[in-house]
Amino acid sequence: MTTGISKRIYRIQFGLLAPEEVRKMSQVKVITADTYDDDGYPIERGLMDLHMGVIEPGLKCTTCGGKVDECPGHFGHIELAMPVVHVGFIKEVKTFLDSTCKSCGRIKLTDDEIKTYRERMSAYNLSSSDPEVIGIMSKKMTDEAGQRMVCPHCDTQQSKIILDKPTTFREEGIKVTPKEIRERLERIPDDDLVFFGFNHEVARPEWMILTVLPVPPINVRPSITLETGERSEDDLTHKLVDIIRISQRLRESRDNGSPQLIIEDLWDLLQFHVTTYFDNQTAGIPPARHRSGRALKTLVQRLKGKEGRFRSNLSGKRVNFSARTVISPEPFLSINEVGVPEKAARELTVPVIVNIFNLDSVRELVARGPEPRDEFDKYLAGVNYIIRPDGRRVKISTQNAAENAERVEVGWTVERQLNEGDIVLFNRQPSLHRMSMMGHTVRILSGQTFRFNLAVCTPYNADFDGDEMNLHILQKEEARAEARIIMKVQEQIMSPRFGGPIIGGIHDHITSMFLLTHGNPRFTEEETIHIMSYIDVDSLPEPHSENGRKYYHGRDIFSTILPDGLNTKFSSKLCSGAKEKCEYEDDPADKEVFIVDGKMRHGTIDESAIGPFSGEIINKIYRKYGAVETSRFIDRMTRLAVGLISLRGFTTGIMDYDIPENAVSRIEEISLDAIDRINKLIDTYKKGQLQPAPGRSVEETLEIEILSVTGIARDESGKIASSYLGLSNPSVIMARSGARAKMLNISEVAGMVGQQSVRGGRLNRGFYGRTLPHFQIGDIGAEARGFVKSSYKSGLNPLEYFMHSIGGREGLVDTAVRTSRSGYMQRRLINAFEDLKVDEKKQVQDTVGAVIQFKYGEDGVDPTRSENGETVDVDYLAFDTELEVEE
Amino acid sequence: MTSLLWKDTKTHVSELKKRVPCDYAVDFDLKDVAAEDGYITTDKKSVQYYVRIAEISKFKESESLILKKKTGLKSIIRVLEVMDIDPLPISEFRKGKHKLSEVETFDTGDRILIKLEEKPSYLETLDQKVKDVVADAKKVGFDIPLSVAEKVSKHKKEMKPAVYKKFLERIMAELARNGIDPHEAVGIIAAQSIGEPGTQMTMRTFHFAGVREMNVTLGLPRLIEIVDARRIPSTPSMTIYLKPEFEKEQDIVLNVVKKLENTTVIDVADIITDVGEMTLSIVPDMPKMNDRLVENSDIMDALEKVKGISVISDEKDNRITVKPTQESFKKLYQVQEQLKVLTIKGIPGIKRAIARIDNLTEAWTVYTQGSNLREVLELDEVDASKTYTNDIIEVASVLGIEAAKNAIFLESQRTLAEQGLEVDQRHLMLVADMMTFGGSVRAVGRTGISGRKSSVLARAAFEITTKHLLRAGYLGEVDPLTGVAENIIVGQPITLGTGAVNLVYKGLKK
Repeated sequence: MTTGISKRIYRIQFGLLAPEEVRKMSQVKVITADTYDDDGYPIERGLMDLHMGVIEPGLKCTTCGGKVDECPGHFGHIELAMPVVHVGFIKEVKTFLDSTCKSCGRIKLTDDEIKTYRERMSAYNLSSSDPEVIGIMSKKMTDEAGQRMVCPHCDTQQSKIILDKPTTFREEGIKVTPKEIRERLERIPDDDLVFFGFNHEVARPEWMILTVLPVPPINVRPSITLETGERSEDDLTHKLVDIIRISQRLRESRDNGSPQLIIEDLWDLLQFHVTTYFDNQTAGIPPARHRSGRALKTLVQRLKGKEGRFRSNLSGKRVNFSARTVISPEPFLSINEVGVPEKAARELTVPVIVNIFNLDSVRELVARGPEPRDEFDKYLAGVNYIIRPDGRRVKISTQNAAENAERVEVGWTVERQLNEGDIVLFNRQPSLHRMSMMGHTVRILSGQTFRFNLAVCTPYNADFDGDEMNLHILQKEEARAEARIIMKVQEQIMSPRFGGPIIGGIHDHITSMFLLTHGNPRFTEEETIHIMSYIDVDSLPEPHSENGRKYYHGRDIFSTILPDGLNTKFSSKLCSGAKEKCEYEDDPADKEVFIVDGKMRHGTIDESAIGPFSGEIINKIYRKYGAVETSRFIDRMTRLAVGLISLRGFTTGIMDYDIPENAVSRIEEISLDAIDRINKLIDTYKKGQLQPAPGRSVEETLEIEILSVTGIARDESGKIASSYLGLSNPSVIMARSGARAKMLNISEVAGMVGQQSVRGGRLNRGFYGRTLPHFQIGDIGAEARGFVKSSYKSGLNPLEYFMHSIGGREGLVDTAVRTSRSGYMQRRLINAFEDLKVDEKKQVQDTVGAVIQFKYGEDGVDPTRSENGETVDVDYLAFDTELEVEE
Repeated sequence: MTSLLWKDTKTHVSELKKRVPCDYAVDFDLKDVAAEDGYITTDKKSVQYYVRIAEISKFKESESLILKKKTGLKSIIRVLEVMDIDPLPISEFRKGKHKLSEVETFDTGDRILIKLEEKPSYLETLDQKVKDVVADAKKVGFDIPLSVAEKVSKHKKEMKPAVYKKFLERIMAELARNGIDPHEAVGIIAAQSIGEPGTQMTMRTFHFAGVREMNVTLGLPRLIEIVDARRIPSTPSMTIYLKPEFEKEQDIVLNVVKKLENTTVIDVADIITDVGEMTLSIVPDMPKMNDRLVENSDIMDALEKVKGISVISDEKDNRITVKPTQESFKKLYQVQEQLKVLTIKGIPGIKRAIARIDNLTEAWTVYTQGSNLREVLELDEVDASKTYTNDIIEVASVLGIEAAKNAIFLESQRTLAEQGLEVDQRHLMLVADMMTFGGSVRAVGRTGISGRKSSVLARAAFEITTKHLLRAGYLGEVDPLTGVAENIIVGQPITLGTGAVNLVYKGLKK
């Protein structure tokens, strides 16, 4: 176990590998292109030489003596018969060849130019300045030098070098071999390198021409043994085999004095292999393929892209101590809790470091074994492993539990199973904002799913149609403390996006609270006791009585869950927009929700009081009483909601949309009338009498006019339908209270579905001049362009159904396109902004220390704590202070 | 009356202000200039100071002179008064027929139209009531932000003194509580707060904005366009306001529209080629002509500028016949092509302009498709302080980087608000500041902010991995491991939030 201050990497220096350095760090010179011998033992000086590390259990590394998981791997090297160019540096090599003298190796700039440019470059530090800027500066200088055809230093006539992509250089049509290139690059003095943006302390140009190739350790390119016992080598090993083979043949041919042509062919082949070894997607080179025809994954491919080393293994990693399963709702849990199935809890462990204070209790814990239960057969946490100070793990079984419990001493670590009350991280992907991963305390439940309170669906954007979520068990005390203080659900109630609550009652919670408070209904004592039994109160609210019968008011019941001293006033969603008297409330005072000292006096509780995004009561409780009180309110509110709605019952069905005969016929009239008007518009258009709107063609004007006619028709029919559906209708209750759906949806069911559209216009594509072969070519009438005059309830005719599907398809395509586009935008945003932080003075700085803002957001206020973006909610404070002082 | 304008430094001006009335020796020759007032610019583009001049004389040595330069002095200006004014653009001055565009050293010009206003001090504009609240807050013990003070002042008169005091105390507590925590990762929060609602936006590219004739890109595509800092937005458009004295005059407004719209011959007329006669006939299309407010004479004016043709106007047939002076089919074709795109009038880039009247204020506003801020602002009737374009890059080049910052902020806020998404303005401010703090508009992405990160590993992890690694090699770059991405890569705690605090517990001394 590490204790105290851990080490920290201070910086990383990049550089080019010198051939000497490659040889120095190499443990073995690889000369054999083979891997294993017939017995399956690595061939010495072969590609699987034991000096480079081990991958087989049982063998030991010859270099460090470590076994499989201990040896970090060591490099080897291959001496190339002839030098080859490194593909990654082709451009730089070209610049060097262009801008330096072919005979004296100096940069082709005059001494005066060198002096002034050197001064200019000295302002930049190659290792820490912006590489783009250095690139632009050096390009200017090298371009200038490249233009010169006579060397100013030795007066040699220069010739043009042409790059024959990808890796061949030609000078006046004659090929320049890598060997010659290397010789030229060697002549360039260190002092001239700065003009090329080369840092001579870590890089020499001739190092870009390879003479020796490092061979990566074996654990970088492990071979796999298939079930058949056949060995399958890694792509890199295959490539290295090729390189060694060709290098050897080239060496032999050269030493034998083979014809130049053969040597050159082999040299090119070696260049090809080394090139594809680095990058198998070089433009102009056919990718090297596996026997099966699959392109090999070589070095660049390993690093690049989403599945590459950087994004897939370094920026994000797979973790232990995590679980994933389907989620389901559990209204009796607090918003801070998560229900974990026993099966998962038995596998997930928390490390407990044994000290003198917990020694006895830990021994007792270990003695329980891995599957303990109490006398009621309830889950108890056991122990899966104990870890000795030397790092050895001992598995605990029912048999060895007692004896191992005795062995546990101070300094050991015990991996305890999950317990109730442990803090864990809970996450749903896509993790779009910080509320996608929150801290919950564990409740062990039977069953197979994770469960949580429905109020927490919104921040996770979860539903229960098969969604799965992840659970992570924190392994360190620091992490647990942070999770408890910062990440816990109750700390995340306020969204940093808009400074309002993002956790609140949904669907049935809203419906139920609406039913409880709208019109202040009466409940008998028996009903009240049933409802209130769902929450932890000891006494009922003040009873009223009429004709000797005791009854309770809904608003009084609601008031029991409000904290004392809460004052607020706001208009409910139901009455939003109402001027003097709300049409849905009998009492004019009910237009506004009015709460004084935790007692609700007027109004109706709906979405704008307890819903996510808008929940005014949640907002005010959070600001005045803090996270704990708010989570208690949400817990009790959701339970109270379940209490009422399970007593009263609430359902909806197709008969909710029944409207009288005459209403149906009026809606029909409207639709016929609309079609009539559309036909008239088309007639005027066909006669050429339609006046185009400014800036529009006649056709566009016609479409706009028709769209407005259909829009009006739908609205009118919706109005008629909803005039027969009052607040006693469950669907209307849901729509008006904001629990689910909009009035528009109701009018679609009861009234008319209306015009279908694609890209904001009427449907117009399909066949030549018509949407379907059922219509005349050129028919631009209502039906032919997707006007649906039926309602969902009456049913759509086949044509209408088809048109409706077209409209629906657009929505699906839209969603699919949008997710990928906005995902990429967010990735870019995060990447660009991840390093910004606020310092003690509320300045926003980046990592270099550049100041982005002198005071964050111009007022230094945290958006999470701001009142919907306002610095402070002055109006509410005035209102609240006055009420408080009055008392 | 002619005024003298010259460029000077702030130190000189403050010296002058201290010593007026005084003599000021300048290094330019003012032999023929007779001006009673002058203007000083410090940035060549706008004047910031007004100067009353008593007399201008030839330079001669004297004791009490203020010297602009040590040598090469030529004239002496007797200055009576120097006044700070609300900056005026140089283009408000005319020399003969032309507008001044820049004052390098000095120039003379006549001021047109705009009244001079003394530069207002911000504090003076404040209401006395607000000032009182600020003082009250000071007494309670805190500095109250002015926006808050303004709101407080509205409640003050309804409150009893005791309540008022408690009220102020609560505001103080609230202000302290609402502050952002040190080391908070505000960048990530901003990025998430903008990215997350992106999934809820529509992809529908086109939408009507204000005028149903105009299409403007909105929703997610527009947001992406803003953070990409595209050179040209997919639908550039302007909202042009006129100066108060013109905005209610329909004739002037329509005239402005006419001046704005870039109309070519093909927009309002048909061109018929007569191969036999070797002539081209321009046949005006009357509805189109009326729509675009073009008359035949306008076409004739435009044709005058074309070389190598003879023009015959046929009033009766209402057609204009054009004959190339050189008779060849090649020339005929060339002329035809030239005529098609011949600009009759308007400003390049403005495809359409439409004027709309606001029914409440009766003021006209011009909306355009296409944008050319630089030239539109040149028009005399245009109110340059209100006119707006949605082309951020253009704003940056015409008005400068601070204006571009505000443009990014306003455009992104407008895009989000139009979709009904609530996003705190602080996040958008941060994005705007981050995109512009380097002095130019930088895109969010590999070509902009992300490509300029100081860490090799962070750049490599984002996009174009190999390029960054190879370059780091020969440059000998050093990764200081200060950012988030690179520390994650090497497996260390990041330096934000709780990771920014270095706290070591030393333990009790034994």
